[in-house]
Amino acid sequence: MTTKSEIELKSFFIFNSSYDSKEGEEYNKVLYYYPSTDDINTQVNNVGLVEAIIKFTGNFKPSGPLNSLHTQKKRQLYYEPEPNYWMVITINLPYINKTKNDSTVVEYIEEDVHDTVYRAILKQAYCMYRLFSGTYSSTEQQHSITTLRSKLEHFFSAYLKTLNLTNCDILNVFAGIHFLPLDKQNFLNVQCFINALECNYPIIEYVSFLFNDSLIWSGIEPDDTQIIYQYLIGTLLPANIETELQGGSIPRNPSSPFASLHYGRFITGPLNLKTTNTIGKVPKIFLNNEANPAVYYFIVYRALNATICLFVNGDVDLTVDLFKELDEFMGSRLSSIASDIAEYCTRNIIPPSNSDTSPRFIYFNKLNLAYKSTVHLDNRQSGNVACNKELVQIMADMNSRKDLLSYAGETIVKTMNDYWVVGKVSNLREFYVALQHKNASLIDISGLLGKVFGDSLIMWEVYDLLAVLECANGIRPQNCINVAQDEVKKICDTELKGIFFHPM
Amino acid sequence: MATNIEIEPGAALESALVTTESYENFQEMSSSLEEIKNSNFIPSTTDEYLDNCNNLDNDIHLNCSITSTNSKDEEYLQDEEWLSKSKHVFVLSSAGKPIYSRYGNEDRFASYFGIMQALVSFVQADDDSIRSIHAGDTKFVFLFKEPLILVAVSKTEECTLQLTAQLNYVFNQIASTLTLSRLVKIYEQRRNYDLRRLLTGVDRFIDNLLDFSENEPAFTLSAVQCLPLTSSIRDAISAAIIQSCSKIKNVVFGILLAKNQLITLVRMKKYYIHPHDLHLIFNLVQASESFKTVESCWAPICLPRFDSSGFLYGHVSYLAEDCQACLILLTVEGDAFSSLSEAKQRIVERLRRGSCLEAINESLASREESCMEVGFPELRHYIYKSKSTAQFYQPHISAPYSINSRRLVNIYKQAHYKLHCPTRPLKLLFERTPQDAILAWDTRGFELYAVLEPLIETSSAISTVGRLLNWIKKREDKLFHLNAPTF
Repeated sequence: MTTKSEIELKSFFIFNSSYDSKEGEEYNKVLYYYPSTDDINTQVNNVGLVEAIIKFTGNFKPSGPLNSLHTQKKRQLYYEPEPNYWMVITINLPYINKTKNDSTVVEYIEEDVHDTVYRAILKQAYCMYRLFSGTYSSTEQQHSITTLRSKLEHFFSAYLKTLNLTNCDILNVFAGIHFLPLDKQNFLNVQCFINALECNYPIIEYVSFLFNDSLIWSGIEPDDTQIIYQYLIGTLLPANIETELQGGSIPRNPSSPFASLHYGRFITGPLNLKTTNTIGKVPKIFLNNEANPAVYYFIVYRALNATICLFVNGDVDLTVDLFKELDEFMGSRLSSIASDIAEYCTRNIIPPSNSDTSPRFIYFNKLNLAYKSTVHLDNRQSGNVACNKELVQIMADMNSRKDLLSYAGETIVKTMNDYWVVGKVSNLREFYVALQHKNASLIDISGLLGKVFGDSLIMWEVYDLLAVLECANGIRPQNCINVAQDEVKKICDTELKGIFFHPM
Repeated sequence: MATNIEIEPGAALESALVTTESYENFQEMSSSLEEIKNSNFIPSTTDEYLDNCNNLDNDIHLNCSITSTNSKDEEYLQDEEWLSKSKHVFVLSSAGKPIYSRYGNEDRFASYFGIMQALVSFVQADDDSIRSIHAGDTKFVFLFKEPLILVAVSKTEECTLQLTAQLNYVFNQIASTLTLSRLVKIYEQRRNYDLRRLLTGVDRFIDNLLDFSENEPAFTLSAVQCLPLTSSIRDAISAAIIQSCSKIKNVVFGILLAKNQLITLVRMKKYYIHPHDLHLIFNLVQASESFKTVESCWAPICLPRFDSSGFLYGHVSYLAEDCQACLILLTVEGDAFSSLSEAKQRIVERLRRGSCLEAINESLASREESCMEVGFPELRHYIYKSKSTAQFYQPHISAPYSINSRRLVNIYKQAHYKLHCPTRPLKLLFERTPQDAILAWDTRGFELYAVLEPLIETSSAISTVGRLLNWIKKREDKLFHLNAPTF
């Protein structure tokens, strides 16, 4: 087989179908269009096609929104995040050149592009925009269409460059969060620290806490947590780690050997507190967009591998003094919490074995958005996967058809290369395993599965519970903590007898 | 998964049917007629053709009201009943002229056809072709085969490829009444031609074909089911057909069928019939009431997979008052009606003498045993397809599917698609839902789809399937048509 071409972005545009436009002025509907090299006619035609499809399909009263258009060479996905505002992405399908009887035939591979995956990309693009700029309609109402156009232009021209369509897979559908399982002591340390912070500085409304790529605590709503997490892991932290590697993170007060070490520094905000007299760049973000939109300052502070996000009411004026005080308050405490967690992790969390034949799995729980993957070797969506890519595609196949399995079900398949893939759906949890045992039989596989599920699922269920309780905490932080801690303690003591804290 | 069967049940060295992958290229058509046809063959003219059509089915006639207004267009879009249909199928010419709608009078929503044509041509202008649109539970599937556009609007769980295959059947049904070459020629001459003038009465065949392809696994599998008969009886029937037609020139196929099941198929040496063409013949017989009332019919039939450019002539008749099996003798000779009628009489006499008619009637009257009755308590239903002969067998549908057999057909359709997904085919699939479990297995020689109790242990599922294969092997002579007799 000859080499396969890659998935490419063909176009991306946003329009509002309710703007009435006279004949010849249809381009007024277009709010953003990529690539800008397409002339106005092409833009208007493409928008016109989408509008025709919206109208045509709407006549038949489908149960859900318009989702996608499949053609021989392309795929187009639709998303209507706010009434009448449509986002459209067009992708060129990958193809292979096949030689048949001396003539070359181009074969487009439709099945390699999952609607679910690329619609999730579209949705994420919207959520990311909304996080920084608010909803389309609010901008239009408070300012003007022109402002909306320039905001969209500003955001998406940069955002589209960071899209890596080739390596998108089932993880994009989940847009899950990686939680860090911790022992009681460390978890309570984090809790105490956050409570102290919130008590001392009432302007801080919410706090989120991460260690490396894993979330430990988040006080904001789950869907906001989801997008903030994507932003931190995908954009902000990787950029920052590069500066750290160039010698950014050194103890700030090495002069006094008796003071505890202080590694903290602001990632958003003033870069160097000693020399600066401005607060630097602090982004404003929009949270609670569904229910009650509000603007917050998004202050990110990092010490060692721990990252803390402070969401400060957007109406107050931030001063350099506030940052200095926060730095003083957080620096050494966060550094010591971070090193404790690091120590705990090296002791208790064994990295997944890297042998080729060990089962690889992806787990996702829709209730708390937790995911875990041993298929992917990093969280950076680099396409660095530990098993055959075809198997990951089969997992996405299963995921896209899971509605047909109803609330619970199990699928075991054997591929042409004698690999096995297992998908299990139950109570909004999804679990996919790739087994690279050649020559195994269905009986072997189900036996092995029993073992895999026995080993890991019990643990996962409890892990879920912990995370659910954490989410509950997030909504009413003040009164739930004790209850949650007690619950968790009870489970840990009675049910688990230590299994929960077993290596992952 | 080891089984100790050496040859797959139902396998044979030679098959009368072309064996095929189901999602193959639809375009592929052969032209076998020229080879068989004598040089003095004269193609029928339009008038002759229309007469034939009327003879074939003069009991139905479509009343088309050509006058349509926009306000009437709207009626359908408001009509809950029309909108709630699970699958609409539309056929239009590439110029946007309505030809067929499964429900409702196509003249009354002509504007819809205009939009569909516009969508197709817009995408085509970009050097691309439209395949499908997905919105919620509804799929809009397009098939553009010059000179026709076919569209399915479906709320069923069938996948895009299966819907495309159904549209392809509809196209073939139209081609089968006109021949593809004529169809193309008509539109070359007049782009705005109203094809319905030539397709009077064909609506009913398309309606029936669509129902048929939704409910019969045969279409999904690209295979046919045989009426169970002992092999000696089947051989006797084949022999009767061969002997009776031996003197007649250019009989290409002799087909005997009953209740949508094949009894025997005799073919001319070197020529094979494609299952898709055979399905069209099954559909023709099923949809035509007139065959039952008339002693015998003479119908031009184009088999698009066999030769899309010309007609075969079919002598269609039911064997006897007391035996409702239908005999189709296909020839390239347009004037062989009387000689084939005589041949038919001889066939019936021979069958009567050999008491084959009783055997057929007995098999027709007896119900297939269900899985439970033959000792597979955990097996609810299954389909076994022998790949080398393009034939399949399924037992009687029992509880819990007797009332809702559509659900069972859906399970099979989905399993079949997953197994044959073009870029990622699978060898084996075992799927469990709260309602059922299915084990689908694709090997070199056969495909097996077994629907089991949802709580079955994997190991007992496998042993059940192993026993089942042995059970089928023992009965293969009866369940499958293993010889491929020739004239």
